[in-house]
Amino acid sequence: MMYRLAGFTGLRAQIFKISFMGLIDALLIWMFFASLAKDDASTLSTVIAVIFVVTNIVYFAKFTLPFKFLLPGLILLVTFVVVPVVYTIQMSGYQYKTGNEISKSDALAQIEANGLAIDEAAPTYEMVLGKINGNWAALLTSQIDQSVLLADESKVEPLSSGYEADEYGVARTYPGFEPISIDFAANNEEAIIGLKFPLGDGKFIAPQGIDVAAVLAQSLVYDKEKDIFTNTVDGTVYKDNKRGNYAAVDDPNNTLTPGWRAWNVFENYTHLLTDPNVRGPFIGVFVWTVSFAVISVLMMFSVGLLLAVVLNQKIALRRFYRSILILPYAIPSFMSILIWNGMFNRQFGAINALFNTEIDFFNSPWLAKMVILIVNLWLGFPYFYLISSGALQSIPSELEEAAQIDGANNRQVMTKIKLPLILQILSPLLIASFAFNFNNFNIIYLLTGGGPTDVLNGKTAGATDILITYTYKTAFGSQEQNLGLACAISMVIFFIVGSISLWSLRRSKVLESM
Amino acid sequence: MSKVSLRPKHFWSHLFIWGLILFTLFPIYVVITSSFNPTGSLATSSLIPDIWSMDNYKVLFNNPAVPYMTWVKNSVIIAVANAIISVFVGTASAFAFSRMRFKGRKLGLQALLLVQVFPSFLALAAIYVMMERVYTVFPAIGLGSLGGLLLIYLGGSMGVNAWLLKGYIDTIPMELDEAARIDGASSFQVFWLIFFPLAAPVLAVTALLSFIGTFNEFVLASLFLQDVNSRTVAVGLQQFVGAQFGQNWGPFAAGSLLAAIPLVILFLSMQRFIIGGLTQGATKG
Repeated sequence: MMYRLAGFTGLRAQIFKISFMGLIDALLIWMFFASLAKDDASTLSTVIAVIFVVTNIVYFAKFTLPFKFLLPGLILLVTFVVVPVVYTIQMSGYQYKTGNEISKSDALAQIEANGLAIDEAAPTYEMVLGKINGNWAALLTSQIDQSVLLADESKVEPLSSGYEADEYGVARTYPGFEPISIDFAANNEEAIIGLKFPLGDGKFIAPQGIDVAAVLAQSLVYDKEKDIFTNTVDGTVYKDNKRGNYAAVDDPNNTLTPGWRAWNVFENYTHLLTDPNVRGPFIGVFVWTVSFAVISVLMMFSVGLLLAVVLNQKIALRRFYRSILILPYAIPSFMSILIWNGMFNRQFGAINALFNTEIDFFNSPWLAKMVILIVNLWLGFPYFYLISSGALQSIPSELEEAAQIDGANNRQVMTKIKLPLILQILSPLLIASFAFNFNNFNIIYLLTGGGPTDVLNGKTAGATDILITYTYKTAFGSQEQNLGLACAISMVIFFIVGSISLWSLRRSKVLESM
Repeated sequence: MSKVSLRPKHFWSHLFIWGLILFTLFPIYVVITSSFNPTGSLATSSLIPDIWSMDNYKVLFNNPAVPYMTWVKNSVIIAVANAIISVFVGTASAFAFSRMRFKGRKLGLQALLLVQVFPSFLALAAIYVMMERVYTVFPAIGLGSLGGLLLIYLGGSMGVNAWLLKGYIDTIPMELDEAARIDGASSFQVFWLIFFPLAAPVLAVTALLSFIGTFNEFVLASLFLQDVNSRTVAVGLQQFVGAQFGQNWGPFAAGSLLAAIPLVILFLSMQRFIIGGLTQGATKG
């Protein structure tokens, strides 16, 4: 033993440690600069920098022995569990959804770029596109008075002479101006569409086709001081509605797109409680989540306990029964759920084939719920059998004998003595199982997909959706994605599961015994 | 054990057990028969198939649209990596919590206990946005990569594993490490040369549970792995049957059976240890 111990001390261990740490440091430094080089990755760079500093302190200082063991786990836990949770809290305070995904400054820029309108008072121009010294330029002839302008991307100036006009009075040539060919125009369509010849005052002339140009005016003018947009055409004033959009002062539903991620701490939470479009599905989903978890645990526990009692008797083929009956626990659950999904299928499912029926289980809210409970029973009763059986065997036989001497019959021994004891022993596991089923994503998503969908009024919630699948659909739905609201629902789940667990831990006194 | 009985007294017990056995075996029977049923779908007549064939199994290995072996490979890589790394790192944390006294230990343990009740996919929206940003800088550990998914799994399994393993390390007598220390061993040597070998059986069970958990995980995997070749078995089979269940039912059954058999054997052969771990939590409370 001593030789092996000695083999890993001294110089060799030191060299190993330093080279290993050198590798880690090199990796972290590379990652730090790589993330620094990107915009919009400052949080990532900070996280990497913190990991770098902490790692080096912990592994090179002398006073940090426990943290030398804790650190790898701590980094993983903090980076991939704590940070996402904090981020969830933060995101739940944002209006962060389809149409409101970018920052306010990006949204401002896009609104300004989109807010252009043709100035109806100004003339339209016949346009000849060309280049002067290799830069885009245009000869513009007013369709009204045939006055001619020479424009490039920095200025527009009137020409009184020097150009040559064709028979229609449209200016065609000018010294130094080289018209472009039709082929060249066709190949540079995008550049041409993007051309702007500035007139000043927020107005400019822009091509409206290959040979026509018009005066465009900024119809939405942003006032930085007041933080409002004014539509110069109809005079509408748009104000920041504090929900991530500029909305018309007299019509809150008239908003400018795109919106941005607005910081509004309680908006998503009040939505859950007050907006009928959100509250309806949310309450329906909430009630079903709780009933699903409670009924599932009760069913699985009853069947599991009954089985434990039955198999606790001296019965023939006990071991054989046991190894068959724990099979559902050994098979990967996502497969079992998908298999059950196929078996309940209306056209080709084994259940309908067995009874020679054509019941559409997944199209009726009540049947779908029943199917979920049955399948969950199938998945879960072996686990409850195993823990009940363990609990049953841990009850000292003296208790039973004493009760029998006092004249209790078998039933009384079971209900008055064993059952209360088992409940007491298993209550932490029952609560843990409730918490697990409360978030049992797989069974809902893989079995019914939350459907049928037409029962609740909301756009995304189905009749069998539980909170976690509802969160998933809210965040990643195909029509609208509302990450802010999804995070708010996540917070509600956190709160419920957290309180139940804390309560159960307090009761079991685990916290005191550490 | 001496008196085995088939008396009428146990009639109801047997009825109950056989009812439950039928319930348990029915889906398993259906999967086995339909995996050998070449018609692909489960028509009325095929509860007992007329023809037996291996066609469904051939589809799994020969159809480029169903890269079944790639899915299995992905699942195994990520589940094995998660099991090994999380058990190793978790043991180190558990060792510190069990054997050392330091400031913040109790608070750390309480935090650990609370963290482990939350499945990591609860924060899925935040994880998605976070890993989307990571992708723009480091594609290898960002959204869509097995590496990124592994990191999320590792973080999520830290709480449970460290807590489970601490419970076990607490039962290893203190005298062992004290003796080693007197012989001049450092903490790292005590950990590596004494605890690791002693804890090997528990580590194996924890690793196995972690492996099964990862293999079963669906939410994060389906969110992360959009590309058909980077899917895990869970995501692959789900999307495969999700599209046209009727036609793909046979190959799906074959694929499920192939993937499930090794796991079931593994589970049954280690059931004594796994069940011991299950009930430990109960009797402690």
